[in-house]
Amino acid sequence: MLVYTMRRVLGALPVLVLASILTFVMIDVSGDPLADIRMAQPPPTEEVLQQAEERLYLDRSMPERYWLWVTGIGGNGDIGLLQGEFGPSTQGPHYDIGAAIAERLWTTLRLVGAAMVFALGLAIITGVISALRQYSKLDYTLTFVGFLALALPTFWFAGIMQAAGVKFNQLVGDQIFATIGDGRFRAEGAPLWDQFLNAFAHMALPTIVLMLISFASWSRYQRTSMLEVMNSDYVRLARAKGLRNHTVIRRHALRTALIPLTTVVAIGVAGVIDGAILTEVVFQWRGLGDFFITAVDNNDSFALMGWLLLSGTIVILANLVADLLYAVLDPRIRYE
Amino acid sequence: MTTEYENKGHTAVADTDDVVLEVSDLSVTFPSDDGPLPAVRQVSYKVRRGEALGIVGESGSGKSVTSMAIMGLLPRNAKVEGSARLLGREIIGLDDKRISEVRGQRIAMIFQDPLTSLNPVYTVGYQIAEAVHAHRKVSRKEALARALELLEIVGIPSPEQRLKQYPHELSGGMRQRVVIAIAMANDPDVIIADEPTTALDVTVQAQVLDALQRARRETGAALVLITHDLGVVAGQVDRVGVMYAGRIMEMGSVEEVFYRPRMPYALGLLGSLPRLDGDRGDRLTPILGAPPSLRDLPSGCGFAPRCPMARDRCHEEEPRLLLVEEGEERRPAGEGEVDLHSAACHFSEELIEVDATDLFKVTSVDTEGAESVAEVERAEALVSEARDGYLDEDGAAETADTSAEPEILLRADHLVKHFPIRSKGLLRRKVGAVQAVSGVSLDLRERETLALVGESGCGKSTTARLLLNLIRLTSGEVSYRGRPIQGLSDRRMRPLRKDLQLVFQDPFASLDPRMTVTDIIAEPMRIHGSGRQDAGRRVKELLELVGLNPEHGSRYPHEFSGGQRQRIGVARALSLNPKVLVLDEPVSALDVSIQAGVINLLEDLQDELGLSYLFVSHDLSVVKHIADRVAVMYLGGIVETATTEQLFSAPAHPYTQALISAIPLPDPVKERTRERIIVTGDIPSPADPPSGCRFRTRCPKFAGELSEAERTKCVEEPPELRDRGTGHQDACHYSQAVELI
Repeated sequence: MLVYTMRRVLGALPVLVLASILTFVMIDVSGDPLADIRMAQPPPTEEVLQQAEERLYLDRSMPERYWLWVTGIGGNGDIGLLQGEFGPSTQGPHYDIGAAIAERLWTTLRLVGAAMVFALGLAIITGVISALRQYSKLDYTLTFVGFLALALPTFWFAGIMQAAGVKFNQLVGDQIFATIGDGRFRAEGAPLWDQFLNAFAHMALPTIVLMLISFASWSRYQRTSMLEVMNSDYVRLARAKGLRNHTVIRRHALRTALIPLTTVVAIGVAGVIDGAILTEVVFQWRGLGDFFITAVDNNDSFALMGWLLLSGTIVILANLVADLLYAVLDPRIRYE
Repeated sequence: MTTEYENKGHTAVADTDDVVLEVSDLSVTFPSDDGPLPAVRQVSYKVRRGEALGIVGESGSGKSVTSMAIMGLLPRNAKVEGSARLLGREIIGLDDKRISEVRGQRIAMIFQDPLTSLNPVYTVGYQIAEAVHAHRKVSRKEALARALELLEIVGIPSPEQRLKQYPHELSGGMRQRVVIAIAMANDPDVIIADEPTTALDVTVQAQVLDALQRARRETGAALVLITHDLGVVAGQVDRVGVMYAGRIMEMGSVEEVFYRPRMPYALGLLGSLPRLDGDRGDRLTPILGAPPSLRDLPSGCGFAPRCPMARDRCHEEEPRLLLVEEGEERRPAGEGEVDLHSAACHFSEELIEVDATDLFKVTSVDTEGAESVAEVERAEALVSEARDGYLDEDGAAETADTSAEPEILLRADHLVKHFPIRSKGLLRRKVGAVQAVSGVSLDLRERETLALVGESGCGKSTTARLLLNLIRLTSGEVSYRGRPIQGLSDRRMRPLRKDLQLVFQDPFASLDPRMTVTDIIAEPMRIHGSGRQDAGRRVKELLELVGLNPEHGSRYPHEFSGGQRQRIGVARALSLNPKVLVLDEPVSALDVSIQAGVINLLEDLQDELGLSYLFVSHDLSVVKHIADRVAVMYLGGIVETATTEQLFSAPAHPYTQALISAIPLPDPVKERTRERIIVTGDIPSPADPPSGCRFRTRCPKFAGELSEAERTKCVEEPPELRDRGTGHQDACHYSQAVELI
């Protein structure tokens, strides 16, 4: 098991390096970080431009820049991923990309985490129910809901939910749902129950929006994999042994039907991060999604690179975790 | 154990002659879009304590559905009617809690495919212990101790270790023994075994059947053995029921049913079976037509459309299962008459002293599509016409010099094929090799059938592929008509491909579902750029040649049954007038009544077209029927080769002997009285074969008869293939011819 883990971790490293190269090249060739300054009226002096170029390391060649970005050797101390520096920003010399990412990471992770946990839980429950009651009215209803959720565009649904939240608050005459902001600092220092209410008010709607797409596809997967297992010989043998139905479903069917879902969920992480950007924008959260949009607006290459590499790393890590989980869940994998 | 239950059981058992399972008028119907499908219709039988009852039938006859219905394992939408009483207590329609108490405790079941019957994520020990826990309040330790004991009973080596292993670490035969262990965990009264050995090799089948017998002795359970294999039934059960189209058509002691069948279907089944104890000259009699679709069952007797004796009455009135004993009037078997022979046929008495060949027609045309005997005769006329046409094109000169010594067409010299095993790491280093074929030499002469037999994984299919240069040799030489073909490029190989054609095992996967039959058969001609103008005519001729309706060329493969598709595969192979056909398990996927027709076809084609066959098969009965010479393979090498006659009358290698004696004969008396040579264990991994003689790890001679010094020779020196005074070649240091049949 240890050897297997080591091998998987080592295998992830080259992927990570490749991801960093891809990230760097893609951002570096797309757009000029100084475009705004160049277009400014009145035009900036040659000296100002040169200074800006030097500050953003634009006076160096592309391979040099990549090397600098990764290692920071030969830079001004504000660059080098290995040293924990993400590079200079176009948003001013005092804007620290690393600090900004760190500050917003928690906000986004909270949303992504909650959405994934709820999506997964709900997907398993509905998938199993659908499979056990195949072709019943309940199954058809859940199938319909699933496809509906798959078909809803996130930004549109987020807007609808926001409007619905506002309407609901008006109807009740109290602010149950907060439809703007992440509310991180609002209840600081308040009693625990109030903190919870505050978190709930802010998180409920965005979480629903974000979980819906993943929930829909995962629940379909769970239904298929459960159906397959329910028709398998070993489930029949488990029944033939004289085990009660609920034991068979829990111990023999569900246990094995969960295995394929780990891969699907790991791959789905990328999609959730995607959705988080849109959701955060609509609900005006100051998370990584907002960070990403601001970076795009400002042609902030190093900020974009940092963001892309971070989400890439999260996806790679999620897949690594899925691989390891797979080995735990399925004994056939371990010794290979 | 639940005492209440036992008490009930005992009071009921007191009457009638100790019947443990009584099924009466059991019917199962599945709903479908085309209306209800009656899969099982009014099946009744009784099983007495400790008795073994066989249920035989072809695929789709409803034999498995019946047992699933008894176990309550059918999907919820199945409609089950009638009754099944276990120890006098009704078990059909019990709720989950009640049926769970019965299953596994009173009645246990063994399924067909051991590779999928065990849950891959739990250890073997856990899964056996689980069966114990389901019915007894015992500690984990006690349950595991019982599991260990059970594994010992079913004959699994080093059971202590096995308990901790996962199913994928065990071979198929071992897994099936684990399933048997689970079935006997709570000493049930009845064990239902549904095709328990169908997925296994014959030598392993023998071991598993042996384990099943031990399980019965140990628990005293009655056995219901469901199978399509008449040989297995002959050796294992006391009484047998023959199922067809969802009904039991004949029921009686095995001897009665096998020696004096009173229902044309049973007679036909026995006649269509190639037999190890039969003569090579015997022709097989396929049964006309195909089993009826459950959607539109005939109104009268289910077998009437295929029955050569059918009359008006048969088409109108469904016959009941009535006694056929001499001196008894025809009435249903009553109380205490479980043993008596009964059949569901209006004209049973006409079958006294009748042979299969008297009733059924020996034919090689497709009988599945045919509706009547007249149609078959018409098709046969077309076949002979088509053969003349085929030969004309072939050039008559070929057939002229039959008197001369037959030319050697294909010759293989020390073929070796190793598949590399690579490490899983990034570097994918070569860490070993699967020695699939190691040093096989053989030659195939003109107009002869050479059979390559062996169990799965022995390298027989790989050898066939090497001979056709479809995969690259590791070393060795292959020549066709004296011309070496190994290492030829695809382009240079192409002209030779015309002469060397292949027929595959799986009739479903080997035909492109998106092409019409005409396109499929014409494709080889198109590739070789021949017969472009008259391809249509030629395809028709080929269809007639293989006994199919030439009008069906525009159909797609899915519209044909397995046997018909295999005929299409043969027609495709023949389209280029080949000299050699390599047949890779051509009939192993077919039901016996269909298989017979295809075997007849292959024999006729060879006689009349002068083909050479390399016949790859695991089925010795078929091989004995069709082959001139046989080469027996074990773990990548040939262990014995001889003419069919010599090999079956005086096998010299212990493996050949074991193989022959492991094949069940469809003859109850012979099957039970014959001498057996049993091998133990499974085939070793070809990645790490034993030193010296590769068979020594399973060899009964090595284990039993040889002295220490003699054994050393087996361990150190690989025996070469040569004649050791038996008149044919074998690869055993201590070979000795034995008579087995």
